[in-house]
Amino acid sequence: MQLDCRHIHFRHPGTEQLLFEDLNLSFDGPGFHAFFGPSGVGKSSLAHIITGRLRADGGEVHFAGARPPLYTHNQERLPDWSSIGRHLERITPTAAVEKKNSLVELFGLSPLLKHRYSQLSLGQQNRINLVRYLVQDFQVLIMDESLANVDEATRVQILLAMKSMFPQGLFIYISHNVMEVATYCRRIWVLRGQEKAPPAVLVQGRDLYSGQHLDRSALERVMLEIMNAA
Amino acid sequence: MLLRRIYQFLLIYALGLAGLLAVKYLAGLSDYVIPGFGALWRTGGEVTGRYAGDVLDTLGVAVVGQVVSVLLALVIGILGRQTTWFGSFIKVAAYNVQAYPIVAIAPIIFILLGDGFLSRLIIAAMICYFPLLLAVVGIMSEPVTDIEHFYRQTGRMRWQLEVKIRAFENLSKLTTVVSGSATLAMAGTIVAEFIAAGAGIGYSIRIALYQSDLAKILVALFMIGITLSVYQGMLERAGQMVKQVWAR
Repeated sequence: MQLDCRHIHFRHPGTEQLLFEDLNLSFDGPGFHAFFGPSGVGKSSLAHIITGRLRADGGEVHFAGARPPLYTHNQERLPDWSSIGRHLERITPTAAVEKKNSLVELFGLSPLLKHRYSQLSLGQQNRINLVRYLVQDFQVLIMDESLANVDEATRVQILLAMKSMFPQGLFIYISHNVMEVATYCRRIWVLRGQEKAPPAVLVQGRDLYSGQHLDRSALERVMLEIMNAA
Repeated sequence: MLLRRIYQFLLIYALGLAGLLAVKYLAGLSDYVIPGFGALWRTGGEVTGRYAGDVLDTLGVAVVGQVVSVLLALVIGILGRQTTWFGSFIKVAAYNVQAYPIVAIAPIIFILLGDGFLSRLIIAAMICYFPLLLAVVGIMSEPVTDIEHFYRQTGRMRWQLEVKIRAFENLSKLTTVVSGSATLAMAGTIVAEFIAAGAGIGYSIRIALYQSDLAKILVALFMIGITLSVYQGMLERAGQMVKQVWAR
């Protein structure tokens, strides 16, 4: 599974400043990858271009998969006319019911299934939103700050669970948490803006899986590399 | 909500009446121009029963006209929400047609259909319909992106779901618009009766005007106001109940 962005040019309508000029990057297969960079550098815009929600002024996105990439962000809502449990039932394909039950358990959402979305905390809302994407039949899932407002321990548990449950999925994680990105992601594309060349730099993350030992000094080197690149 | 509406109306009516009486006594006007409180009370005793029947007759036409308008506005609003040429055409047509004063074409309706129920109903519905349509088109055309995003991404979005999401998210606004349109429907019916019909409170006001009997007009206004307040209060309560049931 290969996802390539080739020679992407883009400026937001009505602005003079180019956001991307000849941006090239690629993801070479399943796993946990990331976009990293300061606010406003174009991480979400690039996600929108990849999923077809924005049209690039030039260049192309090449993805050979059967299903288009999905994009989820932390400001989505579920309608409040029924409980989150009922919502999940309705949007879960029959083949994914077992998976849904496991995810609900792993994400710590079991006691909340009878609640309405508006009755949940922000972290709980983000978790339930992520679950409904994970039960879809996806190949690529872009997660834009999807675990914002979730506590550190639960985030780690969720990331490790996702990595073991979806070995065939290609995830692109957008986050400002450098340690998290460096620890759990394999390919980290650091977006740097137009004033620096090249506009995107690839850093190899530690790609930690459940049960593996984390080499602290190697992690620090990756984090330094990311911070220097940004 | 119902009681608050009635309080509000009674307060406004009392203030208006007090203003009129103040003008009467300050300017030393005769009872023929502005009747005194005693004359008002006597007239009230004489005509309240008849006017109550007239107001209910008018309200009946207004309610049917409003129901027709709401249904029509929902259908056209749902069709007009789309970004296709048809949706744009509906929106442009609605904006342009509503700019034309409906009262101005009321005489044509009376000439063609006579002064009966149907003419009153059509005029009431038309006066009520266009503001409703603009509100419904506005609500239905506005995407609720943070909710709709998931359904679009996963190919689950159907027009029924889209309408359901937008209606649910704007239920308070819709209730307010429907409740507010009751006033327009009532006003439309009264205007129609005032112009040419042979029944309803508008017709009674026309006769009182020919008799220059301000006391009767003030009693008629009281009857209209109190009836409309009760009706609007009931509509708002119904809106609240719909929301409670939907979100249960």
